[in-house]
Amino acid sequence: MNKLIILVFFVLSLSACKKIIQIDLNNAKPVLVIEGNIDDIFGIQQIKISKTNALDGDDVFPKISGATVKVTDNLGNVNVFTEASPGVYNKTMKGIVGRTYSLAVGFAGQTYIASSTMPKKVVLDSIGILKVNLFGKDRKNLVAYFKDPIDDVNFYRYYMYVNRNLVRNIYVSNDRLTNGNAIRQQFFYSSDDVDQLKTGDKVYLEMLNIDSNIFDYWYSLSQQVDRGPNQNATPSNPSSNITGGALGYFSAQTYQLDSLTVK
Amino acid sequence: MRSISVNMPLKRYFSLIFILFIAFPAFAQNTFSLSGTIRDASTGETLIGATIKIIGPSSVGTQTNAYGYYALKQVAGNYVVSISYAGYVTVTKSIILNKNIKLDQEIKSANNLSEITISASDRKNENVKSAQMGLERVDMKALNNVPVLLGEKDILKTIQLLPGVKSGGEGNTGFYVRGGAADQNLIILDEAVVYNSSHLLGFFSTFNADAIKDVSLYKGGMPAQYGGRLSSVLDVKMDDGNNKEFKFQGGIGLIASRLKAEGPIVKDRGSFMVSFRRTYIDLFLRASPDSSINGSTLNFYDINAKLNYKIDDKNTIYLSGYFGKDNIGIKDLFENNWGNTTTTIRLNHIFNARLFSNTSLIYNDYSYTVKLLSDVSNFKATSLVRDFNLKQDFQYFSNKHILRFGLNATHHRISPIAITSSQSSQVNNLMQEKRYGLESAVYVSDEWNVSDKLNFLYGMRFSAFSLLGPGNFKTYDDKNNITSSSAVESGVFYKNYFNLEPRFSVSYLFNEQNSIKASYNRNTQNIHILTNATSSSPTDQYVLSSNNIKPEIADQVALGFFKNLKENTYELSAEVYYKWLQNQIDYKNAAQLLANSNLESELLYGVGRAYGLELFFKKKFGKLNGWVGYTLSKTERKFDKINDGNYFPSRQDRTHDFSFVGIYNLSKRWTFSSSLIYSTGNAVTYPAGKYVIGGQINYYYTERNAGRMPYTMRLDLSATLEGKNKGKFQSSWNFGVYNALARKNPYSIEFINDENNPQKTVAQQTSLFGIIPSITWNFKF
Repeated sequence: MNKLIILVFFVLSLSACKKIIQIDLNNAKPVLVIEGNIDDIFGIQQIKISKTNALDGDDVFPKISGATVKVTDNLGNVNVFTEASPGVYNKTMKGIVGRTYSLAVGFAGQTYIASSTMPKKVVLDSIGILKVNLFGKDRKNLVAYFKDPIDDVNFYRYYMYVNRNLVRNIYVSNDRLTNGNAIRQQFFYSSDDVDQLKTGDKVYLEMLNIDSNIFDYWYSLSQQVDRGPNQNATPSNPSSNITGGALGYFSAQTYQLDSLTVK
Repeated sequence: MRSISVNMPLKRYFSLIFILFIAFPAFAQNTFSLSGTIRDASTGETLIGATIKIIGPSSVGTQTNAYGYYALKQVAGNYVVSISYAGYVTVTKSIILNKNIKLDQEIKSANNLSEITISASDRKNENVKSAQMGLERVDMKALNNVPVLLGEKDILKTIQLLPGVKSGGEGNTGFYVRGGAADQNLIILDEAVVYNSSHLLGFFSTFNADAIKDVSLYKGGMPAQYGGRLSSVLDVKMDDGNNKEFKFQGGIGLIASRLKAEGPIVKDRGSFMVSFRRTYIDLFLRASPDSSINGSTLNFYDINAKLNYKIDDKNTIYLSGYFGKDNIGIKDLFENNWGNTTTTIRLNHIFNARLFSNTSLIYNDYSYTVKLLSDVSNFKATSLVRDFNLKQDFQYFSNKHILRFGLNATHHRISPIAITSSQSSQVNNLMQEKRYGLESAVYVSDEWNVSDKLNFLYGMRFSAFSLLGPGNFKTYDDKNNITSSSAVESGVFYKNYFNLEPRFSVSYLFNEQNSIKASYNRNTQNIHILTNATSSSPTDQYVLSSNNIKPEIADQVALGFFKNLKENTYELSAEVYYKWLQNQIDYKNAAQLLANSNLESELLYGVGRAYGLELFFKKKFGKLNGWVGYTLSKTERKFDKINDGNYFPSRQDRTHDFSFVGIYNLSKRWTFSSSLIYSTGNAVTYPAGKYVIGGQINYYYTERNAGRMPYTMRLDLSATLEGKNKGKFQSSWNFGVYNALARKNPYSIEFINDENNPQKTVAQQTSLFGIIPSITWNFKF
């Protein structure tokens, strides 16, 4: 809706105006942030633990060392993660589609628990570049092609990198309206004119299949456009699948990667 | 069963009302009635709320109803009758009341520009005397003088300048009344519900001021004949049309042009009115050399039309309609259109001088279409809400009572969304189940003039809502899983809700200039808008009460002090109110409201409370007139799963709201006006920390809506120049400046990394409007 309002203003030639303002903010007590991913590729699986920082502080986040990190699957296999660098806990292993993984993190007398089931993998057929004309300007957008399976409810998360820089947008989709179809998923790089894909850019796309809780997590984050109070939904913390009061998520997910160079 | 426990007190209440009513029978002496219709002498328009008084040893008086009709009763004798109305020359007549007399009277407009814009009108001290509280009437004649964005005079933006009414945002026609939500206002046009009252995403309202005769806003103390929404009633009535001669009027503005035609069908018996308005922003778009801009669409238009015909002395028939549409589109990419349709057929019947009846048959709908034209993901989504409504209202005029009673039945059909796509599209067809509901009510109320000092307006509305089959009705657990589903056939009343809504107001006059009033009323609501955006959107979802969604309930108490000064030139009022809200709706995290068959699983239910103080000072007459309004208020909501189950401020909770409107009539030709508003910023949720997830900075939130946007302040100016009189042709120029102080008022705030110091977070405010000048040319002949 916000985009529509901006369109209305664009054509009314009433320029919206932006400025930096001072706001009195309350800083909350720091809380634990856990980001855990288990994927289906044999290799290093990683659980990262950090803390929130004050809003007026730098973008530097305290790393949490000395936690105990354990992932157990529904067959009872226990994987103990070890701290490789401050706040980063690793284990070389592989997740299996259909298994439910449970995370247990112990820190400062508190236990944080989460579980996630690894969904089926939807094969990423290919990626390409689509030319779109918007307001008289040609834009190049990355697209992914795949066939959504008709028998499952599927949730997708994508990460896009341009010249090895992660694109800020949160790309997430489900098949609620597109179940069973050949999908061409389009990725809008940026809403402004500054950042556009150009010839020679090296683009990577990671496509993950995630479970429904993790979809909700990313979907609510993606709804918080520009992540401040605006005309959209009131911002709130996305509902985490981790119990015990930590922010973040624990996801068992499938992983695919493709890349291209923009022509 | 619930209905039985409700029925018993209901019966008792109705009998009480009838006993009270019958307890004051006519005197044994010969009494006769005086009745008739009051009209404008030049246009033949009926006048609503004109005062008729029979002056004698014991004076009696009344006001005309919505159709200009009045009736009085008095002991036989010789009397003087006075008929008065705001901005009109008072007429007095001698009558010999020795039989029932019918007195239809036309009165002349005083054509005095110094009348004030928004007023309870020149009803002498009616504002002090009447038991009605929380009522504001907009005088359409002077609406022209209140400055508005782009010079498009707009009743919805003008009512936002009244205490207790808060704007939905800058340049937005959405409004909040006494802490209620935007969907809790009952907006009716000639009795038909207008679901979406905004054009162009809220910058303009659907009401073309040219076609509007009367606007009344009830902020509290809603009379029993109104029901169905919690917060307010905005009752808008269209012009009937001139029944004496053909007239044209119109205007050319920066954004839109208007044209209205009216005239007699049969002189003095019937007339028509038709009014048309269209924007021409897209004509500018077409002028662009850029092919994708000149192929874009952005316009709205609306048509108001009305016919009335007086069949005989006892029967008058009215036919009125509204049709409006918005179109927005980007060439080859996207199209969106939406609009309302309303049609009302009414029959006024006078059974006898004292019993007046109106029967209305109403159709109204709201629909939208969204089309995505892109090759692989093309689709068309449509949605419709439509109502059939039958209303029967009676008014019985007695000496000291006006008794109103009637019934109302509305059949709702909601088609939430239907998605169709081409074979090649990756979007599937989807047909969401239609929902059917029947909303019905019976009411009775009595306006009782006990003595010169004491007045009551009390009544009861009994409302019933039934969710009808066919449909699959589901229940859900906490995790949105379906726990049960029942397939219900057509014609089955699947879920019924019954509510008793008492309405009670009293006024006590210390003297002609001072009074206190108190009121209590309950309202219920069975049709709800689901949106987690904060501004109105054409694709807002409507849902009916159901097995999951309970009727929203509001109880409001209000107490007010009213004072007039200098022969009613100045009006002063202070009202306090407290409101309790039940079964309010909010949303779970990650709620998907659009095209979701399990929509009702995404909802949370809670309670709310709102309270405040409203001060109003108005100067009604003179070269300089206008008003000052101030509201001190709080409005909060409470949901188990939001904000740890604690009360939090609603977004529209603004502690202080101040408005000033001043109109100065310099000469017969020049009128200057200004408005100044100040309000506390909206309650919003600011981050309380930040963290990294998914390789990105994200914000950590603690309390809901605990932060404040910066305050809003705006000064608007306008000047009207009346053209020199050239026979029948009259014209005027209106010049306006919106936001004359060029203040950058907050529209939204986002948190971004500081350009100069990327490690730091800063708040960036977006403002919509700078100074916006406007010019409009209006004409009449």
